[in-house]
Amino acid sequence: MPLKINAAFVEKVLCAFIREELHKFGFRRGILGLSGGLDSSVCAALAARALGGKNVLGMIMPYKETFGRDVKDALALAKRLGMRTRLVDISPMVDAYFARYPTDNRVRVGNKMARERMSILYDQSVEEKALILGTSNKTELLIGYGTIHGDMACAINPMGDLYKTQVRALGRYLRLPAGILKKRPTAGLWPGQTDEGEIGLSYSELDTILYELVDERRSATEVIGLGHKKAVVEKIESLIVNSEFKRKMPPIAKISGRTVGHDFLYSYDRNR
Amino acid sequence: MKVALAQFSPCLGDIGKNLDFHLRTIEKARREKARLVVFPELSLSGYTLMDLVPEAALDPARDPSIKKLAAASRTIDIALGFVEEGGTGLFYNSAAYLSAGRIVHIQRKAFLPTGGMFEEAKFFAAGRSFRTFTTPFGKTGLLICRDFLSAGSSYALFSGGADIIIVISAAPGRGFAEGDAFASSRMWELMAEAVSFFSTAFVVYCNRVGFEDGKAFAGGSFVYGPSGRRLVKAREMEEELVLADLRLEDIRAARKKWTFLRDNRPEVVLRSLKGIVDALED
Repeated sequence: MPLKINAAFVEKVLCAFIREELHKFGFRRGILGLSGGLDSSVCAALAARALGGKNVLGMIMPYKETFGRDVKDALALAKRLGMRTRLVDISPMVDAYFARYPTDNRVRVGNKMARERMSILYDQSVEEKALILGTSNKTELLIGYGTIHGDMACAINPMGDLYKTQVRALGRYLRLPAGILKKRPTAGLWPGQTDEGEIGLSYSELDTILYELVDERRSATEVIGLGHKKAVVEKIESLIVNSEFKRKMPPIAKISGRTVGHDFLYSYDRNR
Repeated sequence: MKVALAQFSPCLGDIGKNLDFHLRTIEKARREKARLVVFPELSLSGYTLMDLVPEAALDPARDPSIKKLAAASRTIDIALGFVEEGGTGLFYNSAAYLSAGRIVHIQRKAFLPTGGMFEEAKFFAAGRSFRTFTTPFGKTGLLICRDFLSAGSSYALFSGGADIIIVISAAPGRGFAEGDAFASSRMWELMAEAVSFFSTAFVVYCNRVGFEDGKAFAGGSFVYGPSGRRLVKAREMEEELVLADLRLEDIRAARKKWTFLRDNRPEVVLRSLKGIVDALED
């Protein structure tokens, strides 16, 4: 089982990561968007264990009453983890914008919502003296299934090296409620949307193929040879290639002898 | 002979802070009656230095931090890692062995990992030799992290008669495994088990912990005895001062049983290597 994880050890590493990165930069508190879905629930549980529940603030940011079930799940989880929550309805800001610039493009609306939440998180993090914990997983990062400068924005990302199926295994180990573990993953872009429906693949198949392409560095031809459908493997490969821009800082045009992003080379943890 | 392994997380680029930690830990190890304290790779500077390398570099003959550490070695031997400026503008990832108030040996890292997440050859010059030196505990060799994963480095120390091989490391953990460890941690023990057994020497391995740029240095420091048996193992991912008792008479006992050192013929290996090196082409 290539996607199998030693969950107890992974928890130990990720909790140490959250704790050490925050403390090195002089922070005691973490803040994250809490959607009621799997990824943010796992991240919240890790943060609560790493920092203590009272040092984690879960921002619940629904659009109107669209996802009432998720708000309830998020509140219940926060209570269980001893975390604080703050509820901000993003509909006035989002509606005001689209009243001025109307669209029927659901992706534009979804991206706007994701960036509205990002904007609120960054603002609240100042008030809270907290760093933002990202909740993007390895599957999303690799296929680019996230909004750049939206849900992908964060100070540190504890879960970016775990595939979705591994996040679920970690969630089971952390004893998250069954309702959250079994929920069909959704980016919450519109009611009834599911990740698997939109991507057109189950996470289990997607993660298996990504593992072969990325971790094992097999070619598409080799992965097809393992018994995966040609069209599926090629689609995944093109998703990876075409989302490279989401995983990089924007290129800086090099003119001088020493340039940020090229040859001005320092660690994130410099002097920490 | 008691050894202390200082498995800790240096502050990246802050030599003053790291020096204070070294001095405190040396004192602690001395109180524990350790005769030798070993720090990880680049313990004075931190690992992911990149463009900080020139700023972190020290000339060991003149540097006041090394002088303080050398003074501390009057009562306990010390192995540590630092950036060495050896010749103006040449920077090495180096290790120092200090004893009786002076520098006994400086070892420069020869195999600089460069590729994947490693970039050492972008920032460091490479060392050119492996040799043993004499300490109060016998012939000793000092290796830095990846150098230990090359069979040739241990073979050179073995041929030099090493009784103790000290490895200082900044090895990031990676890969899923069973139990409380990264998959990559097995690699170090695999080598240490083989090297300690076939060299009939102690292998003392000190790895660091902490995070730099999201990479977790795995810890899991250990000591293997001269018959390939693990004597002590630190936890992964946690700061710890690990103590191990090395029974130096075990070296002789192992060599009575296994005559690898007596039977070693480095001249045969050298001749073979020379033939290979002379025939190298692009």
